[in-house]
Amino acid sequence: MIQLKNIFQTYGKGHVLNDVSLDIPDNAITALIGANGAGKSTLLGVASRLLPVISGDVLLDNVNIRSIKTREVAKQIAVLKQTQSIGLKVTIAELVEFGRFPHCGGRLKAVDKEKIDESINFMKLNDIRDKFIDELSGGQRQRAFIAMILAQDTKYVFLDEPLNNLDIKYSVEMMHIIRKLVKRLNKTVVIVLHDINFASAYADYIVAMKDGKIINQGAVKDMVCSDVLNNVFDHNFNIIEHMGKRVCLYYGNHSHDLIPNFNSEDEFLNQIGHNHSATELDKSIEKSRRRDFFKFQYFVDKIKSKDKKTCSNENEIESRKEGTKMN
Amino acid sequence: MRQNILKNKRLLMIVLFILLFFTSLRIGAVSNVTFINLLKGNKLAWTILMSSRLPRTLAIILAASGLSVAGLIMQSISRNKFMSPSTAGATNAAGLGIIIAFITLSTQSGIIQTIFAFCFSLVSTLLFTSVINRIHVRDVVYIPLIGMMYGGLISSITTLLAYQFDVMHMMQTINNGSFARVGSYGMIYIIAIPLILAVIYSSKFSIIGLGEDFSKNLGLNYNRVVFLGLVIIALVSAASFTAVGPLPFIGLIIPNMTASFYGDNIKKTIIDLMLFGINFVFVCDIISRLIIFPFEMSVSLTISIIGGVIFMFYVIANIKRKNKSQIQSNDKLISRKNDKEPQIAHD
Repeated sequence: MIQLKNIFQTYGKGHVLNDVSLDIPDNAITALIGANGAGKSTLLGVASRLLPVISGDVLLDNVNIRSIKTREVAKQIAVLKQTQSIGLKVTIAELVEFGRFPHCGGRLKAVDKEKIDESINFMKLNDIRDKFIDELSGGQRQRAFIAMILAQDTKYVFLDEPLNNLDIKYSVEMMHIIRKLVKRLNKTVVIVLHDINFASAYADYIVAMKDGKIINQGAVKDMVCSDVLNNVFDHNFNIIEHMGKRVCLYYGNHSHDLIPNFNSEDEFLNQIGHNHSATELDKSIEKSRRRDFFKFQYFVDKIKSKDKKTCSNENEIESRKEGTKMN
Repeated sequence: MRQNILKNKRLLMIVLFILLFFTSLRIGAVSNVTFINLLKGNKLAWTILMSSRLPRTLAIILAASGLSVAGLIMQSISRNKFMSPSTAGATNAAGLGIIIAFITLSTQSGIIQTIFAFCFSLVSTLLFTSVINRIHVRDVVYIPLIGMMYGGLISSITTLLAYQFDVMHMMQTINNGSFARVGSYGMIYIIAIPLILAVIYSSKFSIIGLGEDFSKNLGLNYNRVVFLGLVIIALVSAASFTAVGPLPFIGLIIPNMTASFYGDNIKKTIIDLMLFGINFVFVCDIISRLIIFPFEMSVSLTISIIGGVIFMFYVIANIKRKNKSQIQSNDKLISRKNDKEPQIAHD
């Protein structure tokens, strides 16, 4: 099990991680969620020893990670940062071979070759194993990197936003693969996810971060509810259940955008096709319609003011700006 | 199938290498160094072979393979295909070292020159890489440009010093790359050390080329490997500069051409890279010895001309490929619906 104890991490002025403690449950997918700049990637970096810990301890099976040789840690923990084009002519097979480095130091033995073939087959890449990485589609490339991680044969796998730059089909495929890693190969996966719905559908545990702190953690069913998520993302969540999975609707309630805007009563009357004529009947109709307009206007104003209170549009924009600044 | 092709390519390179090796031994002002004369035990032929022809050929082999490897490692460390010892100031710093060695100790001994050159180019590359890592350059192409300016700066300091201390004649000698410098070949054998190191650590250098996070994930001590790489680069630059002078373009075009033929997995390509570099310099050297026979041109001139042309071709091909891949990626978007990719079984 990987445990983080009182981690403080600073860059420049503020704390990027502020007294973070976390036990990562074995044999499950733990998703890290939070707004931009909440410290998810930093936490992942610290837990996976890519970033040196400034203050605090990371324990790997109750041993401080600092006292273990990096090569030994590499046999236990594999981490994959975002994998854009690497700009090198390396084939899939060669990339997967790199994964064996911690075990064989570059000299492949029979065991290593077996493991490489196994990983390539597991990721269904055997037909294209001699293709160069840069010739692949985004989904294939991501699979090739996962194959490398598999060849590394570690118990723990950390993935930093593996769905970035993947379209929907490949994203779903990737999450299925990650589920398979846990179910079939008994791995422990920690994953940074941007899309809360992917976390809801595929993760076992969710850790929510905000301003460098863990503000909530727990099983998916306890975490995916509007009380928790509203707080994490400073945004209104609407949660529905579909086929046993919870789905978050977070597109906001900007209903006033859909309401037609009328500047005057006449405009309203024109819009609803009112005929201006002089008969008594028409006049009475016109009167009632003018009353309708005022009723309508009253409701519109009410909806708009309600929206402003709950959606707090400006706040959301500001928090986003802060997020980008921190990045 | 791919491996077969690679094997054939390597075999071709080895055959070419053997042919060029003997041709290189055969060429010279004295024409009696023939196979038959050697077999007969002709003393003059043997003396010329052992004291002039063979050292020269070995110098070509070591300098060419050393510079190719140094360029490769530099490109791998900086993750930039346009880097090489000569575009990062390493060669210029070696020149500065030699001039300072001459001014302060007034010696032309090879070892002292090499030590000075090594120290200067190591410090210079360390300085350059650490500065480059701190500043954020928008486009990687600017890094070698900055490197060349930096190299120019060092060169001008060298010239200034040489002018001040009245040793301009040294400048001319050291800046003229040639394999005809009788007697200074001794230092070239030092290159064998970094070459062996590079082969031993080749798999680590290929991993370094994939980035710092990637290397750390695989349990590699990134900083240590980078430092080792810089030491190899400095050693090769210093020794080759002292012994044969500047050989431009080798560190730049050979790794690029090898990468386009064999790929970027250093562990697998390092031998091919060396063979390729050696054959290239052999050809250039033979040309510069034959063109005004029995005199010879400076080999750095021939290399500059041929290398420059190849480099231009490489750059143009690169641009064309980029345009093509853009068109292809547009096509891909259109034809994605017909994509018949193996489906992953979902469970």
